[in-house]
Amino acid sequence: MVATFDDAALQAETTVASTATASLQINVAVNGTPHTLTVDIRSSLLDVLREHLVLTGAKKGCDHGQCGACTVHVDGRRVASCLTLAAQVDGRQVTTIEGLSPRDGSLHPMQQAFIDHDALQCGYCTPGQIMAAVACVQEGHATSTEQIREYMSGNLCRCGAYVGIVAAIQDAAAKMKQV
Amino acid sequence: MSDMPFPNTPRVDATDKVRGAALFCADDARAGMAHAALAVATIGRGYVLTVDTSAASAVPGVRLILTHDDFRDVKSAGFIMGGGYGFQSLLPMLSQAVAYRGQPIALVAADTLETATEAAALVQATYEAEPFSVTLDAPGIEIVNQADTPLKNFFPEAIAGDADKAFEEAPVKVEATFTCPPQHQNPIELIATVAEWKDDKLIVHEGTQNAEAIRHGLAVALGISPEHVEVISPYAGGGFGLKNSLQMQTVLAAVAAQRLARPVKLVVPRTQVFHDASFRPATRHHVRIGADRAGHMVAAIHEVDAQTSRHDLFPGEYASTSARLHGFEHFRGHERLVRTDVQTPGYMRAPFEHPACFAMESCVDELAYVLGQDPVALRLANDTAIDPISKLPFSSRRVADCLRRGAELFGWGARTMAPESMREDDGTLIGYGVATGAYPGVIVPTIARLKVTDDGGVVISIGGHEMGQGIRTALAAAVSRKLGVPAERIEAVIGDTRAAPQHLTAGSWGTASAIPAADAAAESMLTALRELASGDISASQTPAQILKAAKRSALEVEVQTKAPGQPDAIFDRLRSGLVSVGGPVYADFVTFSYIAHFVEVRIEPRTRRVRLPRVVSVADCGRVVSPLTAASQVRGGVVWGIGATLREASEVDPRYGGFLNADLAEYVIPVNADIGSIEVEFIDEPDFKFNSAGVKGLGEVAMTGVAAAIANAIFHATGRRLRDLPIRIEHLL
Amino acid sequence: MRPFTYTKAATVAEAVRVVAAADRETRFLAGGTTLYDLMKLNVETPTSIVDINSLSELSGFDTSGSNELTFGALARMSDVAADPRLMREYPALSESLWRAASQQLRNMASFGGNLLQRTRCAYFRGGEPFACNKRNPGSGCAAREGVNRGHALLGGSSACIAVYPGDLAIALVAFDASIDVLGPNGQRTIAVEHLHREPGTTPHIETVLEPDELILRIRVPVTHLGRGSTYHKIRDRESYAFALASAAVAIRMEGDTVQDARIAIGGLATRPWRAREAEKALIGQPLTLLTARAAGDAALRGAKPTNDNSFRIELGARTVADALMIAKQRALAS
Repeated sequence: MVATFDDAALQAETTVASTATASLQINVAVNGTPHTLTVDIRSSLLDVLREHLVLTGAKKGCDHGQCGACTVHVDGRRVASCLTLAAQVDGRQVTTIEGLSPRDGSLHPMQQAFIDHDALQCGYCTPGQIMAAVACVQEGHATSTEQIREYMSGNLCRCGAYVGIVAAIQDAAAKMKQV
Repeated sequence: MSDMPFPNTPRVDATDKVRGAALFCADDARAGMAHAALAVATIGRGYVLTVDTSAASAVPGVRLILTHDDFRDVKSAGFIMGGGYGFQSLLPMLSQAVAYRGQPIALVAADTLETATEAAALVQATYEAEPFSVTLDAPGIEIVNQADTPLKNFFPEAIAGDADKAFEEAPVKVEATFTCPPQHQNPIELIATVAEWKDDKLIVHEGTQNAEAIRHGLAVALGISPEHVEVISPYAGGGFGLKNSLQMQTVLAAVAAQRLARPVKLVVPRTQVFHDASFRPATRHHVRIGADRAGHMVAAIHEVDAQTSRHDLFPGEYASTSARLHGFEHFRGHERLVRTDVQTPGYMRAPFEHPACFAMESCVDELAYVLGQDPVALRLANDTAIDPISKLPFSSRRVADCLRRGAELFGWGARTMAPESMREDDGTLIGYGVATGAYPGVIVPTIARLKVTDDGGVVISIGGHEMGQGIRTALAAAVSRKLGVPAERIEAVIGDTRAAPQHLTAGSWGTASAIPAADAAAESMLTALRELASGDISASQTPAQILKAAKRSALEVEVQTKAPGQPDAIFDRLRSGLVSVGGPVYADFVTFSYIAHFVEVRIEPRTRRVRLPRVVSVADCGRVVSPLTAASQVRGGVVWGIGATLREASEVDPRYGGFLNADLAEYVIPVNADIGSIEVEFIDEPDFKFNSAGVKGLGEVAMTGVAAAIANAIFHATGRRLRDLPIRIEHLL
Repeated sequence: MRPFTYTKAATVAEAVRVVAAADRETRFLAGGTTLYDLMKLNVETPTSIVDINSLSELSGFDTSGSNELTFGALARMSDVAADPRLMREYPALSESLWRAASQQLRNMASFGGNLLQRTRCAYFRGGEPFACNKRNPGSGCAAREGVNRGHALLGGSSACIAVYPGDLAIALVAFDASIDVLGPNGQRTIAVEHLHREPGTTPHIETVLEPDELILRIRVPVTHLGRGSTYHKIRDRESYAFALASAAVAIRMEGDTVQDARIAIGGLATRPWRAREAEKALIGQPLTLLTARAAGDAALRGAKPTNDNSFRIELGARTVADALMIAKQRALAS
């Protein structure tokens, strides 16, 4: 990525979209399906996914970006959906745990690896762990146990399934490469 | 009864969980739901004088505001350890009294969560403040001798012989004081309720460990029949003791739903969970051990001060576990409860056993060093087959096997005894530590209904709650083995008051209670199937085939099981949603689970960060029904031990009351990068004296002893005895 | 959360113009990881928000320049952290990014926004009933006599001892970085070291920026000290936590002797803290555990402990010392 700082561009004036009402319309593709939604300006992406779209796989554990249970992908990158204003995903692609695996009912290799390594207990943090884990592999941050541990530390698991989570990611990383 | 170990089978609900398809309470996102939020008190104690809801009610979309004026017909459901159903006897908003900072003073319900949250923040109150005390040594506390209260009938002090005299006369003595801070369970699932009324029936969805207490507690609180309350809780997103009873928000949500004639969802924000549900109380432990010169522990004395609330006595059962760690000849336990101005503390994984084992097993390590004996050898030499308190035999006790096997797996033989004797070239200090842990073996009454259908389906409806420990998987494994039906075809209906009476699932009694019941139900089903086929069935025939041959579509049996020696009336108590535990002292034996932990610490030479590259844990929990999930349970328990020892403390500012670091950024639970290798093994020897399945509890014994093993390893690495948890960088600089 | 109006700015000039014309309770929204977080706590209560995330001209960065590295204010922390040239040539900068927060938050948080991250002081974030001059000027400072294990030892005042919690700014200060900001009266450049104000009697005013000034870019002068650098961060857990003490150091060695040194410390002061005395103590000296520790002591000189935090004077000094030894390895290897 290379920045260009064109002062002329900085000075240019174009119209701005301003919204002074309590709600806002956004266009967002969620798991490949386009949606036009009217949302409270204050709404988090997490609350819109859960309460409007009834995609409740992403979970609320802290509502302040401190636990990772709400992790989803926006334009292919993992984010904390509780700290993302829904307004910020206007025009973007969101993937949740519900959209991770094919519609034919089969599982993503990461989901299967979580089962195989018993990388979960209560299951509440699990969708967030898996979305983070898939991104961790895609980012190239799953090359060693130390690196996986570091890059998965944004997802708290109170049941303490960390050993299984690391094993699952190592397993799935190899399979995701093959795919 | 099969005496074979169980095979590894996958967690039966794992597929739903990895898909995000397992539905937790707050995942109910139906149209028409009202959302509720709470306003909370900002004073440490006193009275609400006025609650100004005008700004809140002016917010468009607000449908209902409830304050203390609106609960005149509601009463407290009582304290779970006082014959009631609530995590504490105090139900907020029943009066103007404020018992602690963070207590709810108003509920706002609105069409959207955003609106409810905004409006709740606009509620303004005036108060009359009173002095308050929130720490063990604060002025204004009240100290209660547990033995001077009616609690002594349920939790007698652990006393055997004359420990004070024996200690006094012992040639070798160690004595030390240990402290444990308040800590919070913090399951990642927030406590939450969805309440809805259908005609005169109240239906509650909530992640809980105790659906029956919610049902009966709501009935008492609202003055309705328990027949009119259903509680449904297929999954709890972690419990750890937090969700063991009726929560305050459940009643508030139920009242709001009734007033609005609409389903109401109330998800309690994390900061409020720190204040409006239970927590692990602060404790202080004074421990003395006397031994002869050979290292035989002749006496131990364990005295505990434990925090409770002003309005309830949360019983302490610390010394009753530390007494069972070794073959003490004389023992005296003593518990005092310290009344402070907080919500009532409660059960948090290994609530008494973790602090008790930390104190006692640290002290045993100190004894080993006074004696110059290897800490493993000292423990092996003090093993016993007889319970030091009751003098009854243990139904099983394989702690010596745990120690021997653990030492072998860990490579304990490579350890040099002297503190600071092991280090890396770069100055990194290395320490090896060991400790044992114990947890009482308790069983609760259980009713199970098993139904098979001619399409191959098997449904077991039973008391029990799934909060990640794997009870669904264990039930499937047990029934599968008996009936010869694949585990994935077996559905366990649990956490549902419509299906079977739901006793509290806690205290590591879930498997030891549910599995014998499931076994018995399956046996009963086999008998019924044999009768159906006039005794003519072969081993290869499935229940469905037998049903088809007999032209029956379904067959159902019901059984009930209970702890040894419990009267039949215990089933009435079970149906009333009351705690109905039996044990760990039975008529002719005593049952405890045991574990041995071996840990390696590495401490940076200068900045003194403590790392735990590896832990080896070997558990004696009787027969292991679900090896895969059981091993995960132990790893989780070790992670909890690491958190409790090196990370977690709920901070208290005595000027304000409540808890200060009330979020998941400042209350530091372990993250992935904190955890290294955790190797787990089981002795896997059934204890058929304890129950027909040979199962003892596991979930909590897994955590006991970890703290002492770490502290002992830190001593080995540094020569410093650290007796106050959590152990942090400042204690090692 | 209070209602607010939401505007999506299409150009930088427009963003500044809209905010300048609005009341003082208008905020720029970049990653949102601090602003939205504090809005949920009702600590930030803007009446209006101007979303600048569409300003693609601010989203790039360039680490290939011969005079300076430039980072658009909207470059995401995770992207910059992963830049191979930065990892190789300026490890302290990369480490200060990836050792902050979590990958999820780094994917969201912007370079410019991160500089303006606000304190984690529980009395500030907790709202009522806590006294906090930063949140509610004139109400007092609950932290001074309260639970202050994590509070500042340097740069505090009787009005506030809240720690500046960021990591990136510490590394930027060590490397003499500056920012370009655009306001209604045009553009100006500010040294990152002078961006944050000490609390003094006005802890609610945290930087020298006007509310309508927008950070455009961050510039880091190219230096030969980059390779011999590290950002060392000590915290209560191994990851995903704020610093108890941190140090960004960069050194150039000639033989055994320190030719040049930069030292800045984090997690210990009310603002990013450049430790020039420590640098002076080191230059011309051989770098040993002893001289490194002396530099650490110099960096913490003047530290004023409160109830619970005196251990962090020692910890801070040791952190600086360890950071210097790590940097030495790198300097010698380069």
